[in-house]
Amino acid sequence: MPITETQEKDPLENSDAPMVRIENVSRRFSIDGGKTSVMALKNVSNQIGRGEVVVIIGPSGSGKSTLLRTLNGLEGIDEGNIVIDGVDICSKTTCMNTLRTEVGMVFQHFNLFENKTCLENIVLPQTVVLKRQRQEAEEVARKLLERVGIPDRENNYPRQLSGGQQQRVAIARALAMKPKMMLFDEATSALDPETVSGVLDLMKQLAREGMTMAVVTHEMGFAREVADRVIFMDQGEVVEEGEPDAFFDSPRSDRAQRFLEQII
Amino acid sequence: MEWFIDKWQVIDSLSPFLMKGLWLTFKVSMVSIILGSILGSVLGIVKTLKWSIPRALVGGYVHLFRGTPYLVQIYIIYFVLPSLDVTWLKFDSYTAAIVSLSLYTASYVTAIVESAIRAVPRGQEEAARSCGMSKAQALYHIILPQAFKLTVPPMASIYVIVIKSTAVLSVIGISELTRQGETAILRMPGDTMFIYLLIAILYFVYCYPMLKFAGWAESKVKANGGNAVL
Repeated sequence: MPITETQEKDPLENSDAPMVRIENVSRRFSIDGGKTSVMALKNVSNQIGRGEVVVIIGPSGSGKSTLLRTLNGLEGIDEGNIVIDGVDICSKTTCMNTLRTEVGMVFQHFNLFENKTCLENIVLPQTVVLKRQRQEAEEVARKLLERVGIPDRENNYPRQLSGGQQQRVAIARALAMKPKMMLFDEATSALDPETVSGVLDLMKQLAREGMTMAVVTHEMGFAREVADRVIFMDQGEVVEEGEPDAFFDSPRSDRAQRFLEQII
Repeated sequence: MEWFIDKWQVIDSLSPFLMKGLWLTFKVSMVSIILGSILGSVLGIVKTLKWSIPRALVGGYVHLFRGTPYLVQIYIIYFVLPSLDVTWLKFDSYTAAIVSLSLYTASYVTAIVESAIRAVPRGQEEAARSCGMSKAQALYHIILPQAFKLTVPPMASIYVIVIKSTAVLSVIGISELTRQGETAILRMPGDTMFIYLLIAILYFVYCYPMLKFAGWAESKVKANGGNAVL
């Protein structure tokens, strides 16, 4: 059974255009109270096609999470341009709140609303943001909870669930907005080992259903199996990218070689 | 035995008088607590927003009122401000009491609300915004309900301080509990010690439930694990 329902196609939409276009994006973080700064992203350009699954890997501090967070505007950018499904997200006239409903985000630490039950976590954004009727929102939420494999926990609070279960709810919450694409920011890094595979399976299923995905992860097995393309980042730059098998078997750059040696 | 009869007579003759004072203490403190909490909550929220000028103004106000004794504040508001010859700054003693005590309360509430909002993990707001909620929607549905729970224990201890601070209002002629007691002492100078004891007991009876409540609320918040799960 599919997790997502197929979206109705807008006839005016140019389906050849990429879902995401990242053009010369730079992001500077000030540290030491503004005295010095580091470049978290240096002139990054890339594209993500419709239905494409892109896995971003790299050492910590390489800017991969920053890049992911710029795609739904959680992180601003200092230079460059990001266009998502034809919408320039840097333009002042773009409504970021609408954009964010179209770009689902899953966090490392789940970030479920602690003051709401699982069901409410999924219902609230639908009623508040999409203005759905409560009954409809609950139906959507129950269906999603069933599809992510925890139909019996709807009245539990997040703290009563295991990490893996919380992450499933978080994925369901993002899917309830019917996003055009999903961002996963180290979605399995904070999980107990035995719950990782369940969440990864869910992500694989989403990928099979044609969801456009950008995934920051340390799960190299997942990257190899699911990714259409692997992007390797280091020190705020895209160092190398390519098909997963080619990248993992014979990385071209020294930095990627060193990185892969260290983690395997 | 004779001592008890003697003291009972003191209590008997003073109790309507002291009760009147306690009632006024109750009214002034409650009005100030309510007004101060509303003002402080709004200012506390303002302090967490990105508007730099209002934030600086609120910060200045908080420092000013928390960094000076309440006695000095009430002197300035009741005796100094009227000399500026601005009509709406000429308070009668009751208004001066409410205004000063509310501002005093609000300065503490502002700080409490601000730190409670900041104590809610950042991920909560990021998650809310990622679902497409506006800043205001995220505050209303997600952040404030969680922050509110954290404010309850410190709020209760501030309320106790505010109740006790009403004793200072005797200097501007508000006939609250302490003032009533002092008047009673003028009538019965032989029982000074005993009357002060009565006053202390009455304050305690008013404050103790609040302290108990603070302790209970604190244990409740702790039992729920606050909300920091990270």
